[in-house]
Amino acid sequence: MEFQARNLADAIEARLTGRLEFTDHDRLRDIVALLDGPNLRRFVVDVSGLDFIDSAGLGMILILQEEAEQKNIKLVVRGPRDDVKRSIDLAKIGEIVAIEY
Amino acid sequence: MFGDDVRPEEARCRRAFLISDADREGLAACLAESGAVVVEAEDGEPPGGDWAAVMVPPDGFFLSLTTATAFSLQLAPLVGATLASRGGLGDDKRSVVEQCLQEAVANAIIHGNLGISSTAKDHPEGFRVFSQLVNSRLGDPELRGRRVELFVRWSEAALDISVADQGAGFDIACLPAEPSGRSRSGRGFVFMRALAGRVEVADGGRCTSLRFEL
Repeated sequence: MEFQARNLADAIEARLTGRLEFTDHDRLRDIVALLDGPNLRRFVVDVSGLDFIDSAGLGMILILQEEAEQKNIKLVVRGPRDDVKRSIDLAKIGEIVAIEY
Repeated sequence: MFGDDVRPEEARCRRAFLISDADREGLAACLAESGAVVVEAEDGEPPGGDWAAVMVPPDGFFLSLTTATAFSLQLAPLVGATLASRGGLGDDKRSVVEQCLQEAVANAIIHGNLGISSTAKDHPEGFRVFSQLVNSRLGDPELRGRRVELFVRWSEAALDISVADQGAGFDIACLPAEPSGRSRSGRGFVFMRALAGRVEVADGGRCTSLRFEL
């Protein structure tokens, strides 16, 4: 998985590409660090460029949610498609994390 | 543990490859052969174990890799591409098979051979601890050398994939049947049970077998 971050008006957006899977825990630390940005109210994880996510990758989304909650930041997962959408729906991640389709 | 359902007369076409420094292209070339048995060498020599007795039909292959190599290679899409090119899998089922195989291989590597419990993530800073555990155990020669073994065979009716590891196993009764909110463990089996036609666990949790109707 690769990601690029950019600043929006009141948010930071991390755009993920490739495959988010069990070998990517090291990169998760870099994404979590983005939550330390000043005056952050929203954190958008754009997954529209992701081709695949496994259960460990979904676990990373949940970790991001918990880290954001602790900092009173709203986490939004944006744009899941195809296999990624199937996995998010199957694991009922939408019951815990805000998903924008 | 593999191959009990393959008759010896079906297994005549196998070709064995002993590979070192496995990369994707080299591995894909070996797996393209009918009935291939592909085994990663240990210091240039064949590893121990019962791989030599595995009966592989022409429409199948056996793959034995070290944990370190299996971690680095993204096996699920590699196997998916192999199956597609050898006629064992159509486009309609490919993503489902790759998803299930991904979960089985991840379990074999992380929880099996590296012996890392999902509970490692269940406390503050847990994901950092988990990441450190993965890296440190991949640096342990004994653990990184443990085997991940795939036995794959197919017919017109079904595709069967078994994934075995050399870890301590686990009690399948402890797995959740349904996704449970923020639970950080067992979701891989939820995926496999939802997407595969059949999921069986044997050898005390060290071997997961998946069947897909074609």
